[in-house]
Amino acid sequence: MDIDAARMLGAGIAMIGAIGPGIGIGILGRGAMEAIGRNPEARGPIATNMILSIAFAEAVAIYCLIVAIILSMVAGS
Amino acid sequence: MRAGDILKAIVGIVAVLGAVIVGLLYFPVPKPHVELGAEQVCQIAGFPITNTLIASWITIVVLLAIFILGTRRMKMMPTGLQNVVEWIYESLYNFAEEAAGKENTPKFFPLFATIFLYVIGAAFISLIPGFDTIGDGAREHFTGAFAGSYTGWVVHEPLLRKASSDINFPLALALIAFASWTYWAIRMIGVRKYSRQFIKLENLGEGFKLMSRGDFKSAPMAFFMGGVDIFVGFLEFLSRCIQIVSLTFRLFGNMLAGAILLLIILYLIPWIGGVPFYGLEALFGFVQALIFAGLTLVFSVIATTAEHE
Repeated sequence: MDIDAARMLGAGIAMIGAIGPGIGIGILGRGAMEAIGRNPEARGPIATNMILSIAFAEAVAIYCLIVAIILSMVAGS
Repeated sequence: MRAGDILKAIVGIVAVLGAVIVGLLYFPVPKPHVELGAEQVCQIAGFPITNTLIASWITIVVLLAIFILGTRRMKMMPTGLQNVVEWIYESLYNFAEEAAGKENTPKFFPLFATIFLYVIGAAFISLIPGFDTIGDGAREHFTGAFAGSYTGWVVHEPLLRKASSDINFPLALALIAFASWTYWAIRMIGVRKYSRQFIKLENLGEGFKLMSRGDFKSAPMAFFMGGVDIFVGFLEFLSRCIQIVSLTFRLFGNMLAGAILLLIILYLIPWIGGVPFYGLEALFGFVQALIFAGLTLVFSVIATTAEHE
C-alpha cells in the first residue's frame, strides 16, 4: 500500500476513538438532566459541574483529533 | 400547524437556500491552506517570531489597554469602562470563591483570572473579521469550492494567526500553572506533608513494627498494603504530571479544530455557512478559557489541601 494512502487511512481510523467520549458525554448529560428533573432549583451548580465534567471527557476526543490532524496534514513527505 | 406557520417555514427555508446560493456564486473563498505549526514571520537576534506570537502580543496590549483605561480615576459609583471591568472582576471572583473557598481565593485568584482573560482574549481577537487576511499576499483570481470566481486579495503569508492554535501557548500556561500550584503547596503545607500525598509509608512502617514485635501473622498483610500504597502514590504523582499534558492538549485541540473548521466551512458554504460556526467558535473560546482557568484553580486547591485534615 502506498504510504500516503496508509496515512490517510490511519487518520480516518484514529477518529473512531471519538466514540468513547461521545457516549461518555451522553451519560453525563443524562445524569445532569435527571438531577435537574429531581431538583429544578439546583440548576445552576448542576449545570456548572456538568460543563466541567464534559470538558474532561471531551479532552480525550480532542487527543484523537490531534492524532488525525498530525497524520493527515503534517507527517509524511 | 396553521397556514401562517407553514408560510413562515417556507419563507425561512427559501431565504436560507437563497443565501447559500448567493454566497456560492458571489462570495467565493480561496482554498484554505491549513498548517499545524505556526509559520515564522521573521527573526529577532536568532529568536524566531511566529505569527501566533505577534497575535499574543496584540492580545496582551489590548487586555492591558482595557484594564488600565478602566481603572484610571476610579469613582465610587462606577460608570462606563470601569463598570465593565468591575463586572468582569466580580464575576471571576465569585466563581473562584465557589470553587476554592473564602480563604484560599485571594492567593489563587490572580493566576486564575489572568489565565482566563488571556485565553479568552486570544480566542476572541482571532474572531475579528479580517484578522486572518493581514499579511503578505497578492490580488489574484481564484475560484470557489463549487461555483463562482473572484479577483481579490489572497494572503499567502499571514502575519497573524489565532494565538491559542500554537501548541506553545497552552503549554506555557500549563507549565506556569503546574509550577504555581506546586510552589503554593510547598509554601502552605510544607514539603513533608505535600510529598506525603504521594509517598505513603505508614503501612510499611506498620509492617516493620509488627515484625519487630514478633507478630508474623498480620505483618505480610501490612507489607502488602504498603506496597499497594506505594503504587497508588506513584500513580497519583504521575496523574499530577499528566495534568500538564491534558490541559495543554485540551485547549490546543479545541482552538485548532475550531480554526480549521471555520476555514473549511467558509470554503464550502461561503457567506452564510460561517454564521452558526462563528457562534460555536465564540462559545468554545469562552468555555475552554473557563475550563483551563477553573481546572488550574481546582488543582491548586487539591494540591494545597493536606490529607486527614
